[in-house]
Amino acid sequence: MRRIKSFRSLALLLAICMIMALFAGCAKKANPLTIWVGVESVDFYTAKMAEYVENYKAKTGEDFPYEIAVQGVDTGSAASKVLDDIDAGADIFTIAHDNLPKLTAGASAIAPVRSQALLTQIKSDNPQAFLDVIDMNVQGTTYTFGIPYIAQSLILMYNTKYLTKDDVKTWEGIWAAAKKHNMQSVSLTGSDGFNNSFLVLAKNETTNRMPTVLYEDGITENCNFTSDEVVAIMQWGQRFFTGANGAKMPTDSGWEIELRDEISLGVITGAWKFNAAKAALGANLGIATLPSFTLTSEDVKGTNVKAGTVYRSGTFADCKVFVMKKGSDKADYLEDILLFLTSKEVQEQSFIECANLPAYKNAAKEFASMQTDNLETELAARQLDMFDYGIPQPFGTPTSQFYYYSKGAPDLIREILENKDGLFGTTEAIRTQLQKVENIWKTGERE
Amino acid sequence: MDRKKYGISGFFQRIAQPFINFYKRFMDGSIGTKMSHFIMGAGNIYHGQIIKGLIYFLIQVGYVVFMVTCPKVNNTPLGYKAFINFVTLGTQEGDIFTPADNSMLMLLFGVVTFGITLMYLFAYNSSIKSSYKADKDLKNYGKVTTFRHDLKEMFGNRFYIAMLTPATLGAVVFTLLPTLFMILIAFTNFDKERQAGLKLFDWVGLDNFTTFFTNPSGEIAARFLPVLGWTLIWAFFATFLNYYGGILLALLINKKGLKGKVIFRAIFVLTIAIPQFISLLAMRNLIGEYGPLQSFLIKVGIMSEPMSFLANAPNVWIARITIILINLWVGIPYSMLLASGAIMNIPESLYEAARIDGASKFTILRKITMPYIVFITTPYLISSFIGNITSFNIIYLLTGGMPKVTGGYIAGGTDLLVTWLYKLTIDEQQYNLGAVIGILTFLLTSTVTLITYRRSKSYKEEDAFQ
Amino acid sequence: MSEKNENVKVKKIRPNYLNLSSSEKISRLGAYILLIVLCIIWLYPIVWIVLNAFRTEFNPDGTMVGTVVSHYWPKQVGWDNFKILFTNTYFPVWFRNTLVVAVFTCILSTMLNMSVSYVMSKVKFKMRKPFMNIAMVMGLFPGFMSMIAIYYILKALGLTQTLFALILCYSAGAGLGFYVGKGFFDTVPNALIEAARIDGAGEARIFATIILPISKPIIVYTALMSFTGPWMDFIFARVILGEQNTHLHTVAVGLYYMMYGQIVDTSRFTVFAAGCVCVAIPIVALFMYLQKYYIEGSTAGSVKG
Repeated sequence: MRRIKSFRSLALLLAICMIMALFAGCAKKANPLTIWVGVESVDFYTAKMAEYVENYKAKTGEDFPYEIAVQGVDTGSAASKVLDDIDAGADIFTIAHDNLPKLTAGASAIAPVRSQALLTQIKSDNPQAFLDVIDMNVQGTTYTFGIPYIAQSLILMYNTKYLTKDDVKTWEGIWAAAKKHNMQSVSLTGSDGFNNSFLVLAKNETTNRMPTVLYEDGITENCNFTSDEVVAIMQWGQRFFTGANGAKMPTDSGWEIELRDEISLGVITGAWKFNAAKAALGANLGIATLPSFTLTSEDVKGTNVKAGTVYRSGTFADCKVFVMKKGSDKADYLEDILLFLTSKEVQEQSFIECANLPAYKNAAKEFASMQTDNLETELAARQLDMFDYGIPQPFGTPTSQFYYYSKGAPDLIREILENKDGLFGTTEAIRTQLQKVENIWKTGERE
Repeated sequence: MDRKKYGISGFFQRIAQPFINFYKRFMDGSIGTKMSHFIMGAGNIYHGQIIKGLIYFLIQVGYVVFMVTCPKVNNTPLGYKAFINFVTLGTQEGDIFTPADNSMLMLLFGVVTFGITLMYLFAYNSSIKSSYKADKDLKNYGKVTTFRHDLKEMFGNRFYIAMLTPATLGAVVFTLLPTLFMILIAFTNFDKERQAGLKLFDWVGLDNFTTFFTNPSGEIAARFLPVLGWTLIWAFFATFLNYYGGILLALLINKKGLKGKVIFRAIFVLTIAIPQFISLLAMRNLIGEYGPLQSFLIKVGIMSEPMSFLANAPNVWIARITIILINLWVGIPYSMLLASGAIMNIPESLYEAARIDGASKFTILRKITMPYIVFITTPYLISSFIGNITSFNIIYLLTGGMPKVTGGYIAGGTDLLVTWLYKLTIDEQQYNLGAVIGILTFLLTSTVTLITYRRSKSYKEEDAFQ
Repeated sequence: MSEKNENVKVKKIRPNYLNLSSSEKISRLGAYILLIVLCIIWLYPIVWIVLNAFRTEFNPDGTMVGTVVSHYWPKQVGWDNFKILFTNTYFPVWFRNTLVVAVFTCILSTMLNMSVSYVMSKVKFKMRKPFMNIAMVMGLFPGFMSMIAIYYILKALGLTQTLFALILCYSAGAGLGFYVGKGFFDTVPNALIEAARIDGAGEARIFATIILPISKPIIVYTALMSFTGPWMDFIFARVILGEQNTHLHTVAVGLYYMMYGQIVDTSRFTVFAAGCVCVAIPIVALFMYLQKYYIEGSTAGSVKG
């Protein structure tokens, strides 16, 4: 009998503990105003928001009515997170601008900018390229949704021990150095569409036009990937990817180790890999704009392009934007916060502390911090230079982005470049494959 | 047993039985029981079982209030409105300032309300049954059971109900309902372009399945057979290689006269103890191009230059074989344990008898040890095969489904059905296609289960063991 | 038990090593060598991780070499990685979270599992066969098909992004995995229960005072399995807790994101290894200590199917 009593009381005690844990676990959480920024910038923006709250108190004499929580979320996945569960999204969050179509599909998950002050600041502070991509059309009306504050493009990070500033101006220069030291020219970081974008988006240096037509004017059908120039560029790419000491295919271990162990000379990447590259190369880290390449007579065989045409490697030149959650209960306060966070002063401070490239169009000229001569300003300056050769990701509809990245088009391009078993040794074969890619971009179907 | 209960007629008989009972109770019951059909608990109160009656009545009131007031969660109602929404899946398109109807939540809440209704019907039936039982008790014994008595019964003869209820509730809410929900998604067009709260989606019936199978050049269908094929190949090799490998290892360790059995076994148990994600991520880094293993092999001369074995392997079969080999490392210790257990249980007398008869070591192995081990561990083999069909960790952690193959629609060369399902659902938000693949996976595993489990001797002799 | 027999028999007829025929000697030697080689193969990755956790090599400029290197044995060892782990990352928070979740899951799961196993084994009630079949069918669906629905059900209950939700998730399905437990209870002779019934004991009393004490192996096995589960799962935890709440993460999610998150930072591999070691030690210790029960539990279940 006693055993039963102790067993029962034990069970009762356990039950009480669990119920208490239940209440402790789901105690009414305070309802803070949440802001999602890139993981690297959390501390900076937390400090900034503390400053904002102080200014608010000084200006209005009242405490800011909400607690503010700044969290680090990867900008690449923030959009998906919000779409999965709109309520759990932050009141203000950061995305790359190419996610705007996804978020404004249907009835839109984000709120448009309405404050005149903010709209004025956006118009005056940003280059035209960015202004073109932050407006979206929802159910017939066009609104501004994104407020740019960080700019980003791809650049070349290389090993200065083996490459001079002149070498890195052209791929041929790098290739020659690679041959001399028996290394690979450049490490590819993955097999996605981003990595061969330097070929896809290459610009003819004389005409300053891009042979590839990619969703021009935001229209899904405006694509062309089968012109002679593209074929010639692909043939050059084949030579580079398959030739000795050319590009290095992605590996399991990762490009950082390839740089560190001096297996490869450089990598095409963005500012978010700056710290990793620094860790790999130390004092030998150099930053340059993406090189240009020249077509030889071999490359232009079967096309009407002239040998000796020079192309600059292209890139996607993006901006990161702040957007606001739709239907947030703190909507009245969000735009004023954004006015502060995207102001050019805060952009400059963010550049100093987190090496975030400002989106402000005159940053290179006006920011004192960008006139100094260190690696961080080099990083910023080269990215800004790339904006002359890059296009912002032009995905005007949600399906365009999907077709471009997720329907297997990057793999088809890679197949051409890798030219396994010589399957794409003829221009006809290349052209057929390019046609497939074009179809995918336009319709999502292969044929 | 009841042979006549099988077969089609038996099936219908068993379905009809509850309704027949229901009718019978109405007809035979007292006034109280008849009233219980309309007001739950009336019959109990009629018989003087006040507390019990009140409980039933409160349940009824609670349910009716719930259904009528339609509490809202996330702006989507439960209750009777949920049933309407379940059929229409939302009507309001929404605009820049108001969200669209959330079709997904409407589907889910329809299922949830359905579940609550089922539980209510169960309670309803139970109230009638208890009133009817009170009638019977009155007739047979002259008095009805008191609440205290019923409570004691709960911990007495009917203790099993108290024991089963929490587990069943948990399983229903966290396993049954969600699975039902996902199955229903397969019949809608909930995909990337129709995100919840942004755009409505609709029922499309069997469209997803027909496009899947009748559009062989379509992206998904073209990938399904290769992925299915690899899943089966993988499950086959992973299961059987681990199984026989484990047996061989167990035989080796249990070899007569070998000292240190416990130590050797402990080393292999150590491998099982390490959490899988640690050991798999360690493996992934270990065999990278610039990791210690390849450096060692190059130094020794077995390899000439670093090569990618996993996600970036030049040939998809290299990655596949590597995964199978690594899976050997993960799985053999476990099957070794089981085989060891079986070996140690072989009665010594069998060996003695065989030795007296002059059988050679090899014959003993073939005729006694192996059949015994196989018999005992067959259930493990089956469950391991099914487990390998749905094994997610090893593929995802080692290669993430790569390397890519031509014509791969989201699926990579080493993707199993389940990892493909995961990618489609979480990464690509193609929920309906993910649900279709989930259902097809389920059909596959259930077919395998039905065939093998029914046939296996262990299942047949389950009752005999009792 | 049979081990004891074997030992006894071995004592009786064990010959001197020199008495063995040479073929026996060779075969035994070969077996030892083979086993040692296999053990080395099996321990190779584990030892490597431990070595990496202690590896503290430095670059010329003073930063630590945290990536994977090509030499197996570290050139320099130290506690730096652990220092970084405990001061610079959220690891202690993750560890505490996982411990809390694991303990509660263990208790809850074991209770549910044992209840269902016992009832399935010993009580012949009407819905028994259908229940068993449905449970088996449920087990055949891929686990995370239900993830989205569970997320929204939890959301409706207001529980998302809490650890309690995680505990619920892990334990709720415990009742469906009753096969092993049932196999064990099948071996408990019914006569024992009948005798107690005749003596007038109620079912609850029988369960508590008679069944539980002799079920120690299976209870320990179930508890061990359900305790170690939360340390290893990263799929469910990631979805339910939300990626941005680093202070809520469990150890598995946190470590996974350290190496393979969006901001992949391969130069933290040594810190990752240190984290792995910290996680592995308690689990391995538990396993080794409870080895006996683990073996008995897994073999008992599979023997009877």
